[in-house]
Amino acid sequence: MRKPLVLRHPSILVFLGVLAVFTVAVTILSTGYGTGPISTSMVKTLGKTLCLALAAVAMDLVWGYAGILSLGQMAFFALGGYMIGMWLMVARTEGIVTGTLANLPIPPTDTEISAAVATQIFGVVGSDQFPLIWAFSGSLWGQLLMVVLVPGLLALVFGWLAFRSRVNGVYLSILTQAMTLALALYLFQNDSGLRGNNGLSGLQNIPGLDAVGQEKLSIWFLWASAVALGLGYLLIAWVASGKFGSVTRAIRDDEARVRFLGYSVEGYKLVVFVLAAVVTAIAGALYYPQAGIINPAELAPIASIYLAVWVAIGGRGRLYGAAIGAVFVSMLSSWFTGGRAPDVNLGFYTIKWVDWWQVLLGLSFVLVTLFAPKGISGLVDWFEGLRPPRRRGAALGPDMGSLREKEAVE
Amino acid sequence: MRLFLLALAFVALALPFAAQAQSPDLGAVIAQHRDQIEKPSRQSVGPVIEAIAASGPLGAALLQAWGDRLLAIRKSDGLLVITAPDGDGLTLTDAATGAGLGAAAEGDVTLLRPNSGVRGVISAALAGNALSDPDPKRRIEALDSLSRRADASQLALLRQALDDPDPALAARKARLERLLTIQYDPDPAARITAIESFGGDSGLDFRASLNPILTTRRVALEQVPADANIARKLSLGSDLSRDEAYAMLVADGTAPARLTSDAMRATLAQHIADGMVGGVSLAQLGDQAARDRAYTALETQGIVQPAASEAEVDAALSRYNFLDLYAEPDADVTTSARAALRGTETRIGLMQAADLSLDALSLASIYFLAAIGLAVTFGVMGVINMAHGEFIMMGAYTGYVVQQFITDKTVSLIVALPLAFVVTFAAGVALERLVIRHLYKRPLETLLATFGVSIALQQLAKNIFGTQARPLTSPAWLDGALTFNDVVSISYIRIAIFVLAMVFLGLYLFIMNRTRLGLEVRAVTQNPGMAASMGISPDRINMLTFGLGSGIAGIAGVAIGLFAKVTSELGSDYIVQSFMTVVVGGVGNIWGTLAGAALIGFLQKGIEWFNPANTLAAQTYMILFIIIFIQFRPRGIIAAKGRAAGA
Repeated sequence: MRKPLVLRHPSILVFLGVLAVFTVAVTILSTGYGTGPISTSMVKTLGKTLCLALAAVAMDLVWGYAGILSLGQMAFFALGGYMIGMWLMVARTEGIVTGTLANLPIPPTDTEISAAVATQIFGVVGSDQFPLIWAFSGSLWGQLLMVVLVPGLLALVFGWLAFRSRVNGVYLSILTQAMTLALALYLFQNDSGLRGNNGLSGLQNIPGLDAVGQEKLSIWFLWASAVALGLGYLLIAWVASGKFGSVTRAIRDDEARVRFLGYSVEGYKLVVFVLAAVVTAIAGALYYPQAGIINPAELAPIASIYLAVWVAIGGRGRLYGAAIGAVFVSMLSSWFTGGRAPDVNLGFYTIKWVDWWQVLLGLSFVLVTLFAPKGISGLVDWFEGLRPPRRRGAALGPDMGSLREKEAVE
Repeated sequence: MRLFLLALAFVALALPFAAQAQSPDLGAVIAQHRDQIEKPSRQSVGPVIEAIAASGPLGAALLQAWGDRLLAIRKSDGLLVITAPDGDGLTLTDAATGAGLGAAAEGDVTLLRPNSGVRGVISAALAGNALSDPDPKRRIEALDSLSRRADASQLALLRQALDDPDPALAARKARLERLLTIQYDPDPAARITAIESFGGDSGLDFRASLNPILTTRRVALEQVPADANIARKLSLGSDLSRDEAYAMLVADGTAPARLTSDAMRATLAQHIADGMVGGVSLAQLGDQAARDRAYTALETQGIVQPAASEAEVDAALSRYNFLDLYAEPDADVTTSARAALRGTETRIGLMQAADLSLDALSLASIYFLAAIGLAVTFGVMGVINMAHGEFIMMGAYTGYVVQQFITDKTVSLIVALPLAFVVTFAAGVALERLVIRHLYKRPLETLLATFGVSIALQQLAKNIFGTQARPLTSPAWLDGALTFNDVVSISYIRIAIFVLAMVFLGLYLFIMNRTRLGLEVRAVTQNPGMAASMGISPDRINMLTFGLGSGIAGIAGVAIGLFAKVTSELGSDYIVQSFMTVVVGGVGNIWGTLAGAALIGFLQKGIEWFNPANTLAAQTYMILFIIIFIQFRPRGIIAAKGRAAGA
């Protein structure tokens, strides 16, 4: 009889506990349900940060555990957002249009309503018809299913093609980057069917919940994001912990050796890649209703690289590290770029952080990569007094992407 | 034969005399048409003006004055005079003889004020004169204005002025005469001859003169007239949808409009009585079938106009023939014009293909230029440098800064190219020593660390140069384009980039294959340990190689900055494409990079050709193609073989 998962990995319990405390604390301090020192927009920022943390945890599964540096994760994130955004936009526009048409002497027919909704939504790209891909946009369950299916299928097809022909390492990174770039360029067109560079907007208004008000809705979304992060963390921790996880990490360290041992390397990689894509898409579907707007710029390759940056700063190969990295860097980034950080007066030049934050981020990222490959979560090891085994600098595995001595602790 | 020549000589001798004989005295002409000159009308003034114009330079002067509203009648004796403003008064010249008549006050004469229509006719006649003006400049001007905007009347003028001492101008005149003949000659046979005389000519002007002949209009006719010049009979369903056909009939007013759902709704709304329309309650009207019932009820009550039913629509459609008719009535002319146009199409197609290839070639050389530095750092050393794009940007900004200090564009370019190399070489060496050296065993982390450098450099450029685009002006001798004909042309700047790309290819091959450095680079790439034991310092070589690749990126940046706006995002626009160029071509082989750039350039232009309005789609499909291409040739077009493949 093995011990339950959470007892084998106490970090899971700690993580879930911190998450719960955080959520309760924000709720108590919020405008909607509590005393009110935290503004609604701050609650939204925190909720979005939780979604980003979930995406980072999924990224860690792909990169930290399976060794696939995917630079296209944000494509799945944005696709999830687009899928839920389609329903939000149609349902909300339908509500508005029905309200307007109801004032006419003759009640509107269903086709008239649908035509008016289509004109309202697609007027900006010069169309008045629903494209084929909006076929299920009228149904919430249909679109929720699409949130999982569309990114999942994309990951399945792309992953199958890439892994089957043994595209590895940096080549795979560039290929995933090309994938998200291609998708972004495609969505930028007006006739892509998703409103070109206008994207989908007004997503913060949830149809049927107009009476609730944003200050309460933001808390609901915070809860939903926290639950999703908790469940996603559990799922990924479970996947990464058992025999499956061991094989996955073995693939990261020496793919050829695992293949010779008779494991289906492609199958393992594909499962990990698709699972991460689906989790990322769910995170995106929760993120964009809080952000309120989504457009193809969200799919730009740089967004996915940032995700990798967060994971690296937090500490890859450790799920809580990824989450910490995402929360730490994105909160710090919004603090610096939001103009809240005080300017530094050097006498001859005043450093405005809005302008210099990116420089600082870039350089600190280089420093972290060079001197602290374990990232922020390396602090945990230091605190616990853990020391890596002395191997005199030798690699743990012969593969170029495998962990080096410094990083190996688990 | 001799007889013929003799006759020809006689005619040639007689011509000037004949011309003189035909040219009557201007005074007589004026006397004859006096009333028309004083009160001209646009319709009838033509022959008068022709007669005046035929009388020689004095006539031309008269016309010029008339058109400029300077022609007047002297009140004292009724003499037609040309006036010229002179201080407060006027200087008069006799219009018929050109003799000076001295000064006069404004009150002494009545100025003739022809309306704009008449002045139009006058200026057309003057254009005819200008065509045979002794000054070649004026002839060229007249010819230019004629080829821009011509009409039937000018064909006759042009024909009179076909002779020209300048053979080039004579050829232009002859060509224009044939073009105008195609459009305006009343004789169909002459037009056909003119069309056929062009053969397979692909000039834009020739096609432009054919197109008005071949314009069609779409008509619905019950009876087709026997003389109608039909381009195409349209069959319902395949060429023309039923709705479109019926809409034509409605537009002609020959059939009643069909009921649109909006119109039905409006009509129903007008006839609401006690919450009911035609016996159907309002609440039920949110349904098309219920609306139809209500409308039929209103129809049977005779309250509303019956709308056309399906059967009536069918009957109306079957009565009519739907045709595309040529605007040109003569069938032979249209046939000949169509044949000529088809003949030109093949040639035009070939030329467009050539033009497209030139475009593709220049795009390929841009990609090659952007990727060649990467071919050194990534291809040879295997280092993923995400900051490569920022090195391109640094090169472009170096060019911009140099232009701030050196105003002469040519000199500044000559200074900027090596300076950009030096700057980015230094930056590359610094990056290699400080960062990349420590990460040779961790390629994925090199990618991330250099990405950090990339965002830092981008923001730094933004802080220094601002977010707006900075101009990097090319020297005047790079402006303009090399034009082969109407279709095929390429701008000089693109030629320069192509040449630069070729120079770099040569330089790369020379350095790698013919120099000590290249030998050492190849040795270190293949086996660093063995190279080190042979006395080569891998650290030094890596540093130099990386600096070389970065320096090339800087020079590429200057070239790219010449045609693209210099912004801090300049590099990131090229980075993914550059990596794909190297990967598609095959890592570690410069010919592969060349092949990759050519493939990507030609592919992108080829896809754009199918859908010219949409370059985004072209890029999307190109990337998709590359993703699929990598599936089948994961190691690129030219795959490294042997030991190098394992490195």
